Amino acid sequence: MSYLKAESIGQALTLLKESAPESRLIAGGTDLFLQEFPERLIDIGSIEELKWIEEKEGFLEVGAGVTHTIAGGSDLISDKATALAEACLQVGSPQVRNIGTLGGNVMNAAPAADAAVALVALGAVAVLMDKDKNIRRVNVDQLYAGYNCSAVDCSSELLLKFMIESCKSGEGSAFVRFAARRALALPMVNAAVRVKIKNGIISEIYLVAAPVKPAPTRLLKTEELLLGKSACEETWLKAEKSAAGEAEVRGSLLRCSADYRKHLVGILVSRAIQVAALRAIGGKEEG
Amino acid sequence: MKKEIIKFILNGEQVEVYVDPAKSLLHLLRNDFGLTGSKEGCGQGECGACTVLLDDLAVNSCLIPAGKVSGCSVVTIEALSRDGKPDFVQESFVEKGAVQCGFCSPGMIMSAHALLKQNPRPDAMEVRTAISGNLCRCTGYKQIEEAILLSAEKLNK
Repeated sequence: MSYLKAESIGQALTLLKESAPESRLIAGGTDLFLQEFPERLIDIGSIEELKWIEEKEGFLEVGAGVTHTIAGGSDLISDKATALAEACLQVGSPQVRNIGTLGGNVMNAAPAADAAVALVALGAVAVLMDKDKNIRRVNVDQLYAGYNCSAVDCSSELLLKFMIESCKSGEGSAFVRFAARRALALPMVNAAVRVKIKNGIISEIYLVAAPVKPAPTRLLKTEELLLGKSACEETWLKAEKSAAGEAEVRGSLLRCSADYRKHLVGILVSRAIQVAALRAIGGKEEG
Repeated sequence: MKKEIIKFILNGEQVEVYVDPAKSLLHLLRNDFGLTGSKEGCGQGECGACTVLLDDLAVNSCLIPAGKVSGCSVVTIEALSRDGKPDFVQESFVEKGAVQCGFCSPGMIMSAHALLKQNPRPDAMEVRTAISGNLCRCTGYKQIEEAILLSAEKLNK
């Protein structure tokens, strides 16, 4: 047999153990036909155990098998990790969101996958299990080995879930993107922010713009610049300038030129921070 | 890949087929079952002409390996008409003149069904989002939007 549908995590791991190293795990498999079709597949897309969304002890746990449609429509995710819900609703088309999973969005390792960008900005940790049931926890941005190349060997390890510290009062997150069309288009740039505001001052911030590096990567210099600054127009302008300066981008025929992308990074980062900050302080959003 | 027996429910009937599980669901439907209503436009999930329902959700059948549908329910455009009569969504497309060359119509209509199953009272924006994965190159989007809103009206009558 070469196409196996696993019904449980246990079964998937057993199948991996029996058939490694030739077998490859797939979930939604929406990119399968765009690549060379692997010889042996273990389909984990219908494993119910990978489809949970729950909040436990201040952490939001989202199964790797949760589809973008489910994540985007989840009240819990919208409330506790807003940027992730927003990002999920921007991925591909309804047809792709219905079948593509959060785990796949990360493991496919595209540099500007919307959900992955939001996960990194939210400080998400991936929980993985190997064939011998050993568990390891890794920050999502550490799961990338290069452009479109995951650091995880999906012939030996299974991504179980993401753990995200729930946003509490005084915290907010947001995701924004810019593309040639409003639907079904690759982002030229996307950005996600998680921010904590205390007495009008930025006390914590995670800032990600992509595609900048092979993995969604935090703009650490801009983060540092913004810490301790007050949440006001002047700070947003500083953020825009700093982010555009910090991001070392390249141009691509697929997306846009390097100059344009640099400009977009600044604008989008500034927009995302403003929305996230507004959410943090419980302000009303327009339209 | 080596051929396997795949069992699933196709348009309400249990079916069994001996096929390469790496074949796309679209090719399985068209070539093995003769259901040519689902169209192949781009073959890479961009155009939505191949949209079918997989367990009630709209999917691009060109992106689904046959092996994935084992144990699932698949509904295609062919399942909609009864005794040669179009169903209420198809009828609405005709009434609103939402069909030009017709190539996108099966996919549009399946996306409309997926929407109405989950949300029987969509507004215009929700209709637009629901068909955002379906390209119409004759660009008759306005009539398509109207046809889906009319379908919803009929559904709620």
